[in-house]
Amino acid sequence: MAHQKTPYQWSARGFVAPGVILVAILLYLPLLWTVFLSFTKYNGLGSPDWIGLDNYVEMFTDGDFVGSAMNTVLWVIGTLIIPVGIGLAIALLTWNLGGGIWLRLPFLIPYALSGIGVGVVWSFILSSGGALDQALAAFGVTDPPRWLLDAPLNTIVMIIASSWQGVGVNALLFTIGLQAIPKEPLEAARIDGAGGIRLFTSILWPMLRPLTAVVVGLSIVASLKTFDIVWGMTKGGPGTVSETLALTMYKETFVNSDYGLGSAIAVFLTVITLLASVLYLRQQLSPKKEM
Amino acid sequence: MSKFIRAAVLVILGIVWLLPAYLLVVNAMKDPLTFTSKESWIPTDFHLFENFAQAFELSGLGNSILSTLIYSIVSPTIAVLVGAAAGFAIVALRLKRGFLWFVVIFGGTVFPLQMVLLPLFDAYSRTGLFDTRVGMVIIYTVISIPFSAFVMRNFFTGVAHNVFEAAVLDGATTWRIFVRLYLPMASSALVAIFILQATFVWNDLLLGLTLSQSDDIRPIITTLSGMQSTYGGAQMSVVLAAAVLVSLPTVVLFLCTQRFFAKGLALGQY
Repeated sequence: MAHQKTPYQWSARGFVAPGVILVAILLYLPLLWTVFLSFTKYNGLGSPDWIGLDNYVEMFTDGDFVGSAMNTVLWVIGTLIIPVGIGLAIALLTWNLGGGIWLRLPFLIPYALSGIGVGVVWSFILSSGGALDQALAAFGVTDPPRWLLDAPLNTIVMIIASSWQGVGVNALLFTIGLQAIPKEPLEAARIDGAGGIRLFTSILWPMLRPLTAVVVGLSIVASLKTFDIVWGMTKGGPGTVSETLALTMYKETFVNSDYGLGSAIAVFLTVITLLASVLYLRQQLSPKKEM
Repeated sequence: MSKFIRAAVLVILGIVWLLPAYLLVVNAMKDPLTFTSKESWIPTDFHLFENFAQAFELSGLGNSILSTLIYSIVSPTIAVLVGAAAGFAIVALRLKRGFLWFVVIFGGTVFPLQMVLLPLFDAYSRTGLFDTRVGMVIIYTVISIPFSAFVMRNFFTGVAHNVFEAAVLDGATTWRIFVRLYLPMASSALVAIFILQATFVWNDLLLGLTLSQSDDIRPIITTLSGMQSTYGGAQMSVVLAAAVLVSLPTVVLFLCTQRFFAKGLALGQY
């Protein structure tokens, strides 16, 4: 749809300018600077020295970085299976159920908590001899695992904590999707005797697909950026065993003052995030799809 | 599956989901002097308000809350207006290459914050914006603009263009049309974006961690994180109380505006 020219071009530029200028100065300029720094050796003093791809080589040969990348993969997979899966299940269970709003409520409360809030609660629960261990002891488990100290267990329990927080919003998104499905084909299918699983596989699932692409895309992008919960529960430790890429970047930059390496990790993280974003941006940016 | 079984499954799952929240509240109410980490499941005493007061004393929570209130009200307000102006320019005024400009603004949100942290820290240190309220308001505003522009462009796309043409025939200026016609029309979308972004700002950790350090300026979540590291051992119940206090506004806001929130998300993404 070609927009014909209107007589308001100057006015239009004035309206769009604040947004463009602010985003350009405070987001795009820093972004370019980070890309530049990733090819340099720099610790904040003096000026950056160009060293080409050395940071990237160092990054991929560094055991800590590889461990951090593996943890991040674990986060992506874990938060896809648990929060998205349970979210869909809850949406389906509350669908057309009287009082669905109330039944969804317990799942929505944690969503409004901050990552640090979730971290405070869960590190309290999981601390040695803490609430979970006490509950296990009541069932005769006297030698519980060291939840937050051993890898990969600490990453797994943090994924569960994060799922506790994230299920509600996925349930809400899927509920909106289910409510948008037109009633007629559903009625027709019911009259034809389709129920339960058959109804889901032949009608609901195909109709939810575009929405699912968005939820999955959002979930992947969010999990790639995982920082707050890990910061709140283990700070990446003990040592570096539960670090995620976002956390490794932060530590290399602001703790070790290795600006070049930190920037290289940021660039790597960004490239992966952008690839994952394509999944849902395609859906998002095309105007007026199914829903 | 029968409705009864579905409801039963949901109730059981819901109770499991509430357990961590139960543990949080119960232990936040315990007196730090008699607090023991051995009886986490049993409520013992009601010491919540004393713990709140203690939390204020320990970490200057009051100033931090005041600062965070400023950030999470001022920044989303500006961002919503800037985003609406961009949407208005692109949709109603039919800005040339409007979609390109839209992508430029929206693109600001697709990469991780990690990509801008260091240069921002560097630039803030050099310009004196580091550890200032103005600096925090600026960055929270800019972070909120892309999403706001995204939702507002979608919203204005749904407005018939002859609304604009009619106003022009009446002799209104573009500014007047924006302020008197388009903004009021979009009030529900504006509020929805505001709520989403205010929640985001309130819950931010990373920018606070990077761009501020003093108790007065640090946003609340960063303060809570610091409290956890410093007092998490001896005064656990005070830290838990602080977590309750810090979480209350967003939980209440979110639960009250669930429909808005859902609508906002729906507006934004589908």
